Amino acid sequence: MASETASPTVNSPSSTPTQAPVEKPSTPPVNILPSPTARIYSLVHPALLLTLCTLRFEALVADPIRELLADLPWLAFLQITYVLICLPPAGTTPTEASFPAPTDGEDKKKTPPRSPSGPGVTLRPGKPGLRRKQLAGKHDFAGVWAKLMPAFLSLSLTFLLATPILAVLLVLFGAPLTTHNPETVLCAAHIALLCATALVYVHGVDGYVWKEVWGISRPADAVWGSALGTGLGAWFGAIPIPLDWDRPWQAFPITILVGAYIGYAVGSLLSRTPLLYGKRIQFTPVEDEEGEKKTN
Amino acid sequence: MAKSVRASVSKRNRANLRKKVFGPVVDARTERLAAKLQDLASQPRPEASEKSEMDLGADGANDHNANDAAKSSQTGEGWSLLVPWTFCIFFGLNLVNFFGLPSEMDLDALKTKSRSQKSGRVQKRNRRTRPSILRYIYAGLSLGIPPPPGSYGGTMAIFRSSWATLVANLLVPVGILTFSSGFFPYKPLLPGLATFENENGTPAVFDKVIFMVVDALRSDFVYANGSGFLFTQSLIRSGAALPFTAHASSPTVTMPRLKAMTTGSVPSFLDVILNIAESDTSSTLAYQDTWLAQLKARGDRLVMYGDDTWLKLFPGMFDRADGTTSFFVSDFVEVDHNVTRHVPGELSNSDWSALIMHYLGLDHIGHKAGPRSSFMASKQHEMDMVVGEIYSAMQQKPHLQSTLFVLCGDHGMNDAGNHGGSSAGETSPALLFISPKLEALGERAESPVEPFADLQYYRTVEQADITPTLAGLLGLPIPLNSLGVFIPELLNMWDHGSQKLHLLHRNARQLLNTIQATFPGSSFGLETIASSCASGPDSGIEGAQCAWSQVHQLLADAPEAGDSYTLAGPALLRFSKIAQDVMSSTASNYNLGRLCLGLLVTAIAAVLVFPTTCHQCMQSRYAGVFLMFMIIGYGAMMFASSYVEEEQQFWYWICSGWIVYLHARSQSSSKPGSSRLNKAASLGLAVSLRFLRRWNQTGQKFAAEPDIGRTFFPRNPSILWGLVVVAYADAGGQLLSSLPDAILLKLWALTLTIGAFGFKLNFAASDVPELLDGTFISKTVGMWPNGPSLILQARLVFGGLICLVLLAICRRYRLRIARAAPNALLHGALHLFLMTQSRVTNIPLFLIFRTQAVMLSSMNLTGMELTITGLVLQYMTFFAFGGSNAISSVDLSNAYNGVGSYSVLLVGVLTFVSNWAGPIWWLSQNHLLRTSQVSTEHNPAALLTFHVATSVISVMAACTALRTHLFIWTVFSPKFLYTMAWATAHHVGVNLLGELGLSSLRSR
Repeated sequence: MASETASPTVNSPSSTPTQAPVEKPSTPPVNILPSPTARIYSLVHPALLLTLCTLRFEALVADPIRELLADLPWLAFLQITYVLICLPPAGTTPTEASFPAPTDGEDKKKTPPRSPSGPGVTLRPGKPGLRRKQLAGKHDFAGVWAKLMPAFLSLSLTFLLATPILAVLLVLFGAPLTTHNPETVLCAAHIALLCATALVYVHGVDGYVWKEVWGISRPADAVWGSALGTGLGAWFGAIPIPLDWDRPWQAFPITILVGAYIGYAVGSLLSRTPLLYGKRIQFTPVEDEEGEKKTN
Repeated sequence: MAKSVRASVSKRNRANLRKKVFGPVVDARTERLAAKLQDLASQPRPEASEKSEMDLGADGANDHNANDAAKSSQTGEGWSLLVPWTFCIFFGLNLVNFFGLPSEMDLDALKTKSRSQKSGRVQKRNRRTRPSILRYIYAGLSLGIPPPPGSYGGTMAIFRSSWATLVANLLVPVGILTFSSGFFPYKPLLPGLATFENENGTPAVFDKVIFMVVDALRSDFVYANGSGFLFTQSLIRSGAALPFTAHASSPTVTMPRLKAMTTGSVPSFLDVILNIAESDTSSTLAYQDTWLAQLKARGDRLVMYGDDTWLKLFPGMFDRADGTTSFFVSDFVEVDHNVTRHVPGELSNSDWSALIMHYLGLDHIGHKAGPRSSFMASKQHEMDMVVGEIYSAMQQKPHLQSTLFVLCGDHGMNDAGNHGGSSAGETSPALLFISPKLEALGERAESPVEPFADLQYYRTVEQADITPTLAGLLGLPIPLNSLGVFIPELLNMWDHGSQKLHLLHRNARQLLNTIQATFPGSSFGLETIASSCASGPDSGIEGAQCAWSQVHQLLADAPEAGDSYTLAGPALLRFSKIAQDVMSSTASNYNLGRLCLGLLVTAIAAVLVFPTTCHQCMQSRYAGVFLMFMIIGYGAMMFASSYVEEEQQFWYWICSGWIVYLHARSQSSSKPGSSRLNKAASLGLAVSLRFLRRWNQTGQKFAAEPDIGRTFFPRNPSILWGLVVVAYADAGGQLLSSLPDAILLKLWALTLTIGAFGFKLNFAASDVPELLDGTFISKTVGMWPNGPSLILQARLVFGGLICLVLLAICRRYRLRIARAAPNALLHGALHLFLMTQSRVTNIPLFLIFRTQAVMLSSMNLTGMELTITGLVLQYMTFFAFGGSNAISSVDLSNAYNGVGSYSVLLVGVLTFVSNWAGPIWWLSQNHLLRTSQVSTEHNPAALLTFHVATSVISVMAACTALRTHLFIWTVFSPKFLYTMAWATAHHVGVNLLGELGLSSLRSR
């Protein structure tokens, strides 16, 4: 247990040990796994996505539907690779262990009533400690399995749940409703892959966490930062559309998607910095934090 | 980017400091001060003042908080005094309250406190101990504006911010006026009529002219395949008609275009406003030189039938006239029948030498149903019949033997059927010169031709060219201020080269006169011939000089008059062309000094309210950041023409962002009061926003796309009328519930609501009859008694509303419940009034507004959040109602409700209200929401003033920086006009004065 908890604090020694446990009563921020591969790939991954986005840009402008559809499996593959390599799967969030007793109790109190409703019951055995023991013991096969299952779950949830929800949100934010429906759905699928995959992988179907996500009040970490960045990027991506340049790339989903990709990369990188890590947007208690809103 | 990151980092650091270091101290101190202030109230005088002084001395850095504590008791009064600058006569009482003694409440609370010289000392101390730069500015302000004598420390901030806000609101209109005087310049017009200078004119080719204007006759309506102008096309083929496309420069609305066609000048932008204020006498052409005035001066008679704009432009010019007002755009038939029925009679009369006809039906069809509607072909055919009738009369009747028939449009229309802007469709009307005599020229053209996108059929000439061409052909002097160039195709009507040369020379001389009047410094003597001219510029004033010197040379060199035409003719035309370009592009000389002065004055206004704004933004972190982000984004947007055209996108975008903020906020608040409705409210807001967004497509880029108001409702009129009925029922219910208990009043309100609905129904029946076809309501209309005229109905509704409000307020006074202002009642009455002033298709929007208001009131927003919500929704709904930054989108359909005869003030007010119905509604609703809030320490006036001042500054800066931009008159100037309306009429006129009136009602 101790070895598990030590890992994230080693990773970002400046802020986590002091801030995360003391201030946040809820599920703490999730950090990138400590292994060197994970740390390197977590930096490479956003760059990789951006590069791909740049490379496929012309094809995207030429035929958005076909290109978006063709890219979907690749993006899913990349995202799964990313979460498998870099992130701890649901139920093993290591910092949980370092919680002081009262918060842990609160966490437990919140989660059980919600977990039976979702399909992730199997994923979250009642006691996190059990799973961790397993992990620590047989690291080869069981470990891989323990990672593949949430990955599979996160993919299916991303497509079945997150995509429709995001499509509705896109429409609410001004995407056309009477036309361009395939574009909207594909755009939503891309955005869902960008932000939901990692969230589901890391948090499973923890109702409390998802409530926080819905309320935009998660503490900043690589996962939530990239999700929030994707959303903000998509929002800012709408800016060039009304310009009268009459360029083909000003068509509906393209700028939004490019904005989302850029936002993903920026958010995922920025939220890891000690300056932002673990902070959250809060309204009721007086808190600072405008970086999330403004830096994008 | 880097800069903003750095800024936000440092901001965050400061915020951290604030939170960790200052925060606890501040909180503690605020509490202490609040307690102290309460102590003050109860303690005897000398001790109290000493104590407060000590405290403020020690904690001077945070005097604001102390002020805030006191502010809550004062804001109500201070607020009412923000803008007494125009209404100070009416609200003089308040002013006396303000300057003389504090309000009752304050007297109660701080009765024992001395107000003599303590304030001065406290203030000085404050100034000395202020730590940040901001507060130095603050101190500077309080230095610059001496505090009113006899005020005390606790209320200093209010006094100062009120002063600042008041002065700022005074300065904004001053700045706007100063800027306008430099931006919309007075164009020097040469007075008097042109005469032939000691020479005889070229002999007239025609002695009569029939000038037929078909409003919005776009070039392809006549020339393209599928046009209804079959006879006219046959004339083009036979050579009896010379076809052109006449470029109509923006603003493409009727009056400036008529000015261009008759005076030959390029009308200034101000004519657009005067076009709306049509009967304004300053816009008449009675004292300007036109070809009509030249005819009249020659002793000829003129007759006119059609659009009464002509009668307003040329009072007393016509011997016989029958003006038609385009009152209802839905009238496709009567307006034209009114003209056509005079044609046979006038064609057999021989006493006139100019017959002017102006048909409006085609324009009405465009506005109503667009250029591709089914009515268009039959209307074109009808116009073609008129052309045929006139042409056959010209062939047969001896007194029409030498008549020129001009058929033209004053402007075109865009694909949505509107005009006013500068798209190809709007600027390309057709122009045809028709006469049997023209067949001799042998200029036969192919007709019809395939339609093409840029609409430049045949040769494109300027609309101003009509004037010198007509003057030349009719043997008149060219009007003095004309910038037109004689259309060379018609030169061949004269046989001799010398006559042609003479005409061109006259035209060039006249242009030279106008150019010399505009550029007194430049010389057009022979000495300007320079070697550089050979390769020099062929545009601009130098180009004109070179061209003129070339003309001189050629004229001097030419040995024979006969040859000189072939030599000098092209040179003369070239000079005229260059001169025209020079004069059209420099039609406005900006007064740069005035522009900068206007900017400076407005900037001072912004700086005055900046400290208060900053302070309030810092208090509410995210909301403040959002507001600043919005203000900066909005300001930056003004420099891009497409964002100005598509401003609605910005507000929809910002609004969606703001809803996310409200959502996150409502999720995070775990107060016991927050219900499920509260949490779902933001989702409801988002859905309703999505509907608003699609209600009326506006702007330029997406204007023609389908929407709810213009596409869905015409197809499903029953749904529309169902919603309208519900909206009126809702409005009536709201009004009833806000009335005091008196059965008579309630009955009155009920009748009024039904009457208002009846008026809207009758109005729709004559304005948009197609919306009533086949609906359940149309049967009701059939049974509806044929009531009084629409004007009387509207007057009854307006008068009834006023009486209702007055009676209800009187009754409240009698029952002694007047302490609470009748906000809800006024809002209910305003609601009904705004519905009366809105288009039928927009009335269901009020239902959406009402639900939004319910959702917002469930959210427990703070003052700052309410202010931002109100601001965003005001701008957003302006565009949702179909408004945009183009002149063509001004909705005049409800401008004449209850107005019998034209009155600038009444029509202006009604136009403003009908276009700003959404913003006014939200202003009132926002006020209602705010007064129901418990905390009143928030002062929105400064924030709103800051927003208005910055938006005015950015628009002015954009207009100054881009004054040579291609779109200055089509995009940026209209935006400036709209900003003017937002700042003066909406912000100062409705918002601040309304607030003032309400608070005076409350305090009485």
